[in-house]
Amino acid sequence: MAEQASAMGGGYRLPVFPYSRPAELEGKRKRHKVAVVGGGLTGLTAACDLAGRGLPVVLLDEDDTVGVRGASSRGIVYAQKTLEIFDRLGIYRRVADKGVTWSVGKVLADDDVLYSFDAAQGSLSRQPPFINLQQFYVEWYLVDRLAELPEADLRWRNRVTGIALKSDHAALAVETPEGSYTLEAQWVIDASGLASRIRQALGAPMAAELGEDRWCISDVRFAKTLPSERWTWAKAAFNDGRAVWQHPMADGVWRLDYQMGADADPQRIADPETVRDRLRRHLGAVEVEIVWVGPYGYRTQLMENFRLGRVFFAGDVAHVMNPFGARGGNSGVQDAENIAWKLAAVLTGAAPEALLDSYNEERRAAGAHNIHVTTRTIRFLAPRSPFEHRLRDAVLDLARHYDFARALVNTGRLSVPFDYAGSSLTTSGGAAVPNLAIALPDGRPGALSDLLRGAGALFLVLCFPGSAAPKLPAELARCFACNGGVGGLPVLRGDALDRIAGAGEVLVIRPDQHLAARLTRPDTPAVRAAIDKALGCVR
Amino acid sequence: MRTDPNIPDADGFYEALIAAQKGLDEAESEAFLLRFALLLANQVGDQQVLLDAIAAARAMLRGENEKHG
Repeated sequence: MAEQASAMGGGYRLPVFPYSRPAELEGKRKRHKVAVVGGGLTGLTAACDLAGRGLPVVLLDEDDTVGVRGASSRGIVYAQKTLEIFDRLGIYRRVADKGVTWSVGKVLADDDVLYSFDAAQGSLSRQPPFINLQQFYVEWYLVDRLAELPEADLRWRNRVTGIALKSDHAALAVETPEGSYTLEAQWVIDASGLASRIRQALGAPMAAELGEDRWCISDVRFAKTLPSERWTWAKAAFNDGRAVWQHPMADGVWRLDYQMGADADPQRIADPETVRDRLRRHLGAVEVEIVWVGPYGYRTQLMENFRLGRVFFAGDVAHVMNPFGARGGNSGVQDAENIAWKLAAVLTGAAPEALLDSYNEERRAAGAHNIHVTTRTIRFLAPRSPFEHRLRDAVLDLARHYDFARALVNTGRLSVPFDYAGSSLTTSGGAAVPNLAIALPDGRPGALSDLLRGAGALFLVLCFPGSAAPKLPAELARCFACNGGVGGLPVLRGDALDRIAGAGEVLVIRPDQHLAARLTRPDTPAVRAAIDKALGCVR
Repeated sequence: MRTDPNIPDADGFYEALIAAQKGLDEAESEAFLLRFALLLANQVGDQQVLLDAIAAARAMLRGENEKHG
């Protein structure tokens, strides 16, 4: 990737990706299998997942770099499920090397620590609970990974301005520095963000709500050592009794997020002197370098349907929620993974097109759930009446003295993978299976994600001692025995395996590492039926 | 939610409840009751009972359907 220094504040140097003339501008007509619109976190993940499965994918982005112009950072917290996906896609190591790994969070009220938690306790995954990293670095690593994948066609400075839905494809109107062209694709993933032109052009219905509460992010560097932990103040005297967030990121930058008064003027709260004064009250008299300041207000958006014909909506275009718990970016990555494996299954002929309907079923439910969870947090942090305020104060007061009340203190419920228990694809189970650290059949250390990577098999079937080895087509499932012999299957070993299933059980794990079925001593047809159900086959 | 008499010494409980508010102003009495309610909720520990109790209390004040009694 050709890189130049990109003009950007905060001392960051970002890559500039080259524009190259699309084949369509040479008059070549091509029917692409999948077009991804938008090279943000969600779009790049979708493209990377598809190309990694050996599927050709074209990605269109109106810009020629990562991040959002003029803004240094968006999401910063990558939760375990996202890190597991990055592990499968091959960028985890770079994310871990650059980012700040953390698991301890503290919840405070003024000077009192109400409670702290360590999310690493009881974790079975090879990945840590959280890594904090500026979003543009993650996007950069995804672009670099895509450059290694021959099936990926990245088109920078290609702006999608319109769409026409045909019976067997979608036609995208694309503008480039050298003129316009029409790109035809069998399927489109719209990951172009909350103001998507495609969504607007199609008139896809969406419910939106704006709140009055205001926040102001300050990304700063300072000469003071703070612990690599997530600290959230439900109320802080140094912020006039309002909430405050304190999180580390890469390059010695901290994200400090301050709750402002309702209807505060965005211009005024982001004024440099006001920001410096706020930082002084928080950090004391230390030298501070302001990297980026961004005021924002509450916004929620949810599309009625995440699919419209040949178009799938993923990430912020489909759902916008408030940032508490890092549910925006992390759910966008899970959207991308969900649609990627389903499109791969359909395009390779392993599944009927009906499977694609389950994208809306599963991911809209996740989006609605995340909005519900984050709305509860807001109601705690920004009480709407004097009574709600006094109720909240009673909770904080009790939490200083009694453990039980800590559960009621809500400064954001951190992102966890959505449970597909209610999905039509699920036989039994539905939760994400942690990326267990195991010894692979050849003795090398590995994890479950190593068995789900790349082109080839879709499902993972784990057979525990006492079960029988199912006979399944190799292109559909890879079968392993766990900690003991099962009918000559290759054996995985590790204590963690015994934490997720017992004797006689067979786990059918989907390509996105969610549990499709937990079966006890099933015969081959029973395992096959669970896989068929998870592929949307109606029998 | 159980509604049959279940407090062992009802008069003693009522007396203690009143005594606890001695010397508190209106705002402090409300603060007392909020803390008391939250402590009790944790003793109950049964989601359905808690939701039933919330609904029953609300219905007695300005409920959509008057069901108390």
